[in-house]
Amino acid sequence: MAEQDSSKALIPPSATTDTFSRRRVITTAATGAALMALGAPAVHAQTKTIRFLNAEPGRESVRALRVAAAEYEKQTGVKVVVDTVPPDDAYSKLQASLSSGTPYDIGTLAFAGHMLILAEAGKLVPMTKLIEKSKWGPRILFPVKGEHYWYPYDYNFCWMYYRKDLYQQKGLKVPTTFEQMAENCKALTEGGKFGVGHPLGANSATQWMSIGYLWADGLKMLDDNFKLLIDNADMKPRMIRYLDFMKKLQPSMPPGMTQALFGTVLAQYSGGQIAHAPYAGRLMEVLEDRAPDLAGKTGFFMYPDSAGKAQAVNHAADGWVLLNTPMRDEAYKFMEWFTERHYINFLHSAPLHFQPPRLDVYEDARWRAHPLIEKHAELVEFMRGILSSKDVIIRSIDTEGPRIDLRPGKMFETFAISEAIQNRLLKDMPAAEAVDIMAKKYRAVL
Amino acid sequence: MKRIRTFSDRALLLAFVAGVSTTLLLILVPVLDAVRLSLYQAESFISAQTWVGLANYTRILSDPTFWHAFGIGLLFAITTIAAQVVLGVLFALLLDQPFPGRPVVRGITVLPYLLPTVVVTVIFQWLLDGGLGLFTVWAEHIGLGRPAWFENPTSAMLILIVVSVWTWTPFVTVCFLAAMQTVPKSLYEAARVDGASAWMRFWHITIPMLAPMLTVTVLLRSIWMFNKFDVVWLLTKGGPLSATEHLPVLAYRRAFSQFDVGGGATVATLSFLVLTVLIAVYFHYFPLEEKEEKS
Amino acid sequence: MSLRRSLTARVTLLGGVALMCLWSFFPIYWMIVSSLRPERDLFAPPTLIPTSFDTGFKAYWTLLELTDYPLQFLNSVMVAGAVVVITLLVSVVIAYVVTRYRIPGKTIIVGSMLYAYMFPPMLLAIPLLSIFAGLGLADSLWSVIAAHCTLTIPLGVWLLWGFFKVMPLDLEEAAMVDGCTRAGAFFRVVLPLSLPGIVTVAIFAFLLSWTDYIFAFVLVSSDSQKTLPVGLASILGTFDARWGELMAGATLIALPLLVLFTFLSRYFIQGLAAGAMKG
Repeated sequence: MAEQDSSKALIPPSATTDTFSRRRVITTAATGAALMALGAPAVHAQTKTIRFLNAEPGRESVRALRVAAAEYEKQTGVKVVVDTVPPDDAYSKLQASLSSGTPYDIGTLAFAGHMLILAEAGKLVPMTKLIEKSKWGPRILFPVKGEHYWYPYDYNFCWMYYRKDLYQQKGLKVPTTFEQMAENCKALTEGGKFGVGHPLGANSATQWMSIGYLWADGLKMLDDNFKLLIDNADMKPRMIRYLDFMKKLQPSMPPGMTQALFGTVLAQYSGGQIAHAPYAGRLMEVLEDRAPDLAGKTGFFMYPDSAGKAQAVNHAADGWVLLNTPMRDEAYKFMEWFTERHYINFLHSAPLHFQPPRLDVYEDARWRAHPLIEKHAELVEFMRGILSSKDVIIRSIDTEGPRIDLRPGKMFETFAISEAIQNRLLKDMPAAEAVDIMAKKYRAVL
Repeated sequence: MKRIRTFSDRALLLAFVAGVSTTLLLILVPVLDAVRLSLYQAESFISAQTWVGLANYTRILSDPTFWHAFGIGLLFAITTIAAQVVLGVLFALLLDQPFPGRPVVRGITVLPYLLPTVVVTVIFQWLLDGGLGLFTVWAEHIGLGRPAWFENPTSAMLILIVVSVWTWTPFVTVCFLAAMQTVPKSLYEAARVDGASAWMRFWHITIPMLAPMLTVTVLLRSIWMFNKFDVVWLLTKGGPLSATEHLPVLAYRRAFSQFDVGGGATVATLSFLVLTVLIAVYFHYFPLEEKEEKS
Repeated sequence: MSLRRSLTARVTLLGGVALMCLWSFFPIYWMIVSSLRPERDLFAPPTLIPTSFDTGFKAYWTLLELTDYPLQFLNSVMVAGAVVVITLLVSVVIAYVVTRYRIPGKTIIVGSMLYAYMFPPMLLAIPLLSIFAGLGLADSLWSVIAAHCTLTIPLGVWLLWGFFKVMPLDLEEAAMVDGCTRAGAFFRVVLPLSLPGIVTVAIFAFLLSWTDYIFAFVLVSSDSQKTLPVGLASILGTFDARWGELMAGATLIALPLLVLFTFLSRYFIQGLAAGAMKG
């Protein structure tokens, strides 16, 4: 199959130490010839097929993609096959498909770091022209050597939700400091119910939902040279303040939060077990679905800091990548069509959770026309305000540093901050000691 | 031992060679590839691979997390195997006795083994859910408060062991039960006539006759439990704080999360070498081939 | 077997059996019951016997919307069936030849089959995917079948080795003196006697294949080729599924096996009993 050989030529030579390259080229050539002789659908035959790896397994999202695929096929005759995997498995699935020589043409990734690895290995095709067609919000594009390989569809900001009715009952006000937050949560912990639920396990849930306070308090983990800052004279006290604050919050949290995942907090809040919950737009969607009476009673605020001066949200992102395969030209055309015609439809599959990173969408009447977006206009304005306000701090562990790099991604995967939190909360270790251990772990991967 | 003489001998041998070589090919090639990976440094399976020779090994062997994981793996394997064998033999003995409804009970006893690991872990996670799980509620009722099942390293390990024993004991039960059927009943009769108690019959007839089967079963279970990945990953992900992280989990995390494919392959190869040594030792004490040719 | 038994012995026996059943069945009972509870009850303090019953089977319908259960079921069955057949053929041959002929290096050959178990499957799955892709089998259930066989054949060989080894050679000798070929002796004498072992291997091969997740996940991409464990795991990552649906999915995976096994357990027992006649 000549196509496959040419794609190998675009890969840096050092990457072809793959044991199977020679064997595979020969057998694939033979198999390919045989298949073509049998008239099996091949790359040049009647139906062209694009393979799309989707990592949004929600019913509506899968449906949105299927609808788009069907429409595209009708218009152009090119078939788009969508495979869906849980978001955690997308990266290993992409790797497996690449290393076996049967790569997907379009993939979904939730970590910019993964995109970086693939881009640096020459496996991706830039979408710079597509990106440059639109205006984007801050901290969502991650160019590699000036090219854009990542087309984001989602800002996953994490902020805090709270029960307005319970606040009213107890005469509480939206907290602007750690102290106030701890007090509020304490006041709402009674009768088998708890003030707040923050995941504490060594997983991405914790690092998305439980550390926003740190960013608000001005923590920077890395300097512009990717040197670790957390244990220096400026940053260490902030880490300590945060850990002590989490310790204070602990009695207001339900037991078992080290096992808690994303869905756990959703279930706890919608079941009325906790009065505050960190999340993104999905919480509101879930409430509308399962506990509609709570939806009207739910308010929101950003993570406060220790002094009452700043606020923050934690950052994540999702996006598509275009892979360097024989079908890349067709796949590019599909992406061009899809991002123009079906972007909003796709976003509507989780209308409040998929916060548009593309600024034109907010003005687009088609996007605004969704019932949930209309109903929760206040929330949508809040979410938009995060982008436009100068005062809001938007950070995440894996995007620390001056540009996209693998090192913060490695820091993320050590889950050292979860360990620090657990050390402080479960082992009652002094905060300073916990920070030292955390710093050591981070240094080991930097 | 027969020698190769007739045509049917040859046919059998041909089938043998075909079967063995295909199986070995499908097994050895991936294994060798994984071992090869341990000599390289790579951030992912598709990144450029840099030759580092044995540097990965020195790095991993001097990393305390490796030794910790090794210890956890041994602990997990030994306790689960012991429990599985004891419980499995006990169940097999019970199932060998006649009682009403025995076929149904046999079916029930084997049920845990039929379930995919993902199903088992989901069930136990539900039973042990921090707020709503049945066991959690029971624990509250008997005054243990709301136990943090998975936050405490000891309880997380215990849960892992109990779940593994629950799931895989039927393997031992079935093997043992099947093998028990091959013991001639006449032996038991003769022993009973001679006045031997049930316990003596068990210890002096059943166990020796079943020794080869028991040897094989324990060996297989040992290898499997040492290498069991999915139950640990799905239940605790090696947590809390690596308290249940054994070598397969460590290998997985290094290769797939921590952008250290070479390191992950190294851990896997080291684990493999450990097992090879342990198996050799095992065979020294429990040889598979007895000295040949009885009458 | 003595027909008279003391009362204590009988009570101990039945007590032991009851405990054994409770131990084995309770979590499964809870799984089924939880899938049939109305959702509100799942958030309330649990009761052992459900007080209300979700006649609408809402959890099941939601689950069926989320995954293509019938297709995945079919895939799992086909794969497991093929695995059993291939495993039996190959491992019987290998185990028999190894115990009856002088094969150089047989311990090494058979020992190296164990290597498949000694590596974390995830690290083997990716090279395996490369091999199968090279053969044009990527994303085909055949590659899953082959991968599963690498798990089941070593087990089959080892178990049957145990069986064939203790089988005295005289029986075959006698048959061959009577005019049978070696193959004939094999079919007429050895196979029937080792039926318990063969049935055991068949069952384990089926289960190893049915319950595998990792190989099925890595080797197959299309939704149309997924097997049941992969299907269940893929909804674990979503937010649409909650405990009710998860329990429904788990029950649906377990139920066919339960039914199949109750059906087959007669043959299983016959197989075991046939071995008992030997005494």
